[in-house]
Amino acid sequence: MRRVAGDVFGGYEQEGWFDEVFAADGSVRPHYEDVVARLRSFSPTELARRERLRDEAFRAAGITFTVYGEDEGVERTFPMDLFPRVIPADEWATIEAGLVQRVTALNRFLEDLYEGEGAAVRDGIVPGWLVTSSEGFRREAKGVRVPHGAHCLVAGIDLVRDHDGTYRVLEDNLRNPSGISYVLENRAAMTRVLPHVFGSMPVRPVDHYGMSLLDALRHVAPPSAGSNPTVAVLTPGVYNSAYFEHAFLARQMGVELVEGRDLVVDDHVVSMRTTRGLQRVDVIYRRIDDPFLDPVVFRRDSMIGVPGLMAAARAGNVTLVNAVGNGVADDKAVYAYVPALVDYYLGEEPILPNCTTYLLWEPDQRRTVLERLDRLVVKPVAESGGYGMCIGPAASDEELAEVARRIEADPRGYIAQEVVSLSRHPTLVGDHLEGRHVDLRPFVLVGETVEVIPGGLTRVALRKGSLVVNSSQGGGSKDTWVLEGDDDKDVDEVVA
Amino acid sequence: MLSRHADALFWCGRYVERAGDTARMLDVTYHSLLESPHVEARRSWMELLEVLHLAEAYGGSHDHVSARAVSSFLVVDAGHGGAIVPAIALARENARSVRELLSTELWESINTFWLELQSRDLAADLDHQPYALYRLVKRRSQEIAGTAAETMPHDDGWRFLLLGWMLERALLTTRLLAVRLARHTAADGTADDFDFYEAVEVLKAASALEAFRRTYPGAMTVENVVAFLLLSPTFPRSVLYALRSAEQKLDQLSRPGRPSRPQRVLGRLRADLEFADVAELLHGDLHGFLDRVQGDIRGLTDLIAVQFFRNAEEISVLHAVDGV
Repeated sequence: MRRVAGDVFGGYEQEGWFDEVFAADGSVRPHYEDVVARLRSFSPTELARRERLRDEAFRAAGITFTVYGEDEGVERTFPMDLFPRVIPADEWATIEAGLVQRVTALNRFLEDLYEGEGAAVRDGIVPGWLVTSSEGFRREAKGVRVPHGAHCLVAGIDLVRDHDGTYRVLEDNLRNPSGISYVLENRAAMTRVLPHVFGSMPVRPVDHYGMSLLDALRHVAPPSAGSNPTVAVLTPGVYNSAYFEHAFLARQMGVELVEGRDLVVDDHVVSMRTTRGLQRVDVIYRRIDDPFLDPVVFRRDSMIGVPGLMAAARAGNVTLVNAVGNGVADDKAVYAYVPALVDYYLGEEPILPNCTTYLLWEPDQRRTVLERLDRLVVKPVAESGGYGMCIGPAASDEELAEVARRIEADPRGYIAQEVVSLSRHPTLVGDHLEGRHVDLRPFVLVGETVEVIPGGLTRVALRKGSLVVNSSQGGGSKDTWVLEGDDDKDVDEVVA
Repeated sequence: MLSRHADALFWCGRYVERAGDTARMLDVTYHSLLESPHVEARRSWMELLEVLHLAEAYGGSHDHVSARAVSSFLVVDAGHGGAIVPAIALARENARSVRELLSTELWESINTFWLELQSRDLAADLDHQPYALYRLVKRRSQEIAGTAAETMPHDDGWRFLLLGWMLERALLTTRLLAVRLARHTAADGTADDFDFYEAVEVLKAASALEAFRRTYPGAMTVENVVAFLLLSPTFPRSVLYALRSAEQKLDQLSRPGRPSRPQRVLGRLRADLEFADVAELLHGDLHGFLDRVQGDIRGLTDLIAVQFFRNAEEISVLHAVDGV
């Protein structure tokens, strides 16, 4: 196809990838017809104008990264692509059911490990040594009760679509998944910048997230808290890169945003220092990682934690959300066992499959992996955010040799996966559209029921050809529109 | 509200007021001394340092007194809490830590002021045009006060901001009077009169000259100047006005019932001023009186910290631990 001046779709190539918008024969998928028609009606100049509007909307809302230090006050906006990702109701129903199932099983696993008898280990579903050798496993959390077993109350599960469009789980984030603030801010910006496109479609709302989160947090308050528990968000402070999100969530819920030094533990009761005296806190949505949470139990040099917090949690006087020690369940090697855990705890077939994963302490698997390193992805088991990852096809011989050496030295520390042919989505590049790889991070809240926020953060690899969507590696995002079903009956059938 | 937030707002207010007051006094001293003999100038600069309680700190790092050296000490020296640029940096640090509680306009007016000071060639300002620098600082601190009043909800956060602001102002105006009166006070405690230029200078240092003239046309006596700067019920930079306004904020911040310790101290102090008789003070112990006012205000700051910023219950716990 040649580029046609004035048409943003002119010259768009699928190049053999699974494309979210266009079917293999080049026709527009039905759930994208309205959006595509609307976007076609914009001239490139008009789109550029909308992009400026978007940037203004983001600046006005203060959704910028501020670089402090030498470049005092330099601000840049978070790159949100104007072409929204659309997910039809039936696809979403599958995703939703799959996420509810997966997070439920993972919570059962965490409850079993920390509060129960370790049945999954006893019954040989997961090797015991794998659990105890996990960097995210916290002996200190053993025996700490978590109301309703909601160890993971907020989960962010990363999904990708492969070459035939199947949604697969890429990784679980059960500790402090971030990004929900961008979901809400992206939506707010889209409704301002492209109101007619948005208004023409039955998009399910996301802006109740703050209310749902608050409800879920209050639901896990210790029984001693009574009917009106006090909730607070605990942040490492203004210098943390996710501080914007911490402040945003506190504001959305109308609760205090506290730092470690605002909290004091006396007689195993946690209180915040206010101008009217100490005020008891019942539930803490903490956005501080386990090792820094309580210098009495974890890292002694932590200046951002609260001494005595774990003891207060153990005494049942405060609920920490997410619970301590969840890292064991989103360990990338334990990930390989999640389908088995779904079967073990729920007696169900996993709805969302994993990506093919190789465990490197198994001699046979390690040997085959080392032979074809240049065609696989290798990831350290305890990292998130794309750190330390090696993509075989893109790596140099030296890098591959280095990775092979590391695997030999610490086979438990890495996993290998087949390269997933991430689906692509048309994305604005200058005045026209080009295909870019995307993934999806939906957010799951475990309250009275398990709720999946319709949509989530679609991350885009903005660099041409790149498979890495993390924002630290040049990624952007898209607003994600989940459409209402034609009627409830259809949706129910798909779920069933 | 969180104690940390209240503390930050209180100090943000204090630092902005301190920077504005310091600029005002520097401006007046500098310009009134342009044509004075050297000895007189030296005395005035030393007095200014005393007003700001910085004479000792200055003496520790300087061996001579000059307009340039004192000005630089009071504008950029980060070694003490009183210089303008470090005070604004601290005001901004405090504001930044409560960014979520401030209106965007207020944060921006503090932040851009700080950025402005960062980008200026302050040495050149002090060499060639101190007037422009001092005017900028006075204007910006007034602008910040106005922006706060117009864009912040007048809730507890705003009250802590104003409480710090007004106590700092009451303290500095009291000091200004105390130091300026010292040279007119004889050994027996009685005060002789200001000359005209001195009176103008003191009033200008408190941005009070025009308001004073309207209140006391043609009578620039020491009695009137003291009465105005200490006791005017309507002029916002008078000690009484600032204390009344601080007291109102403190009352709104306190629980109903028996007045707390800071309330009692502030209420007594305000009543002392309200019922003070200037003629009597001038023929009695004006100095002792002004010293007591300063002492009370400083003590008040500590009491407020104990009441609101640190926790009384927690302090008792800590003391119990210390006692083991």
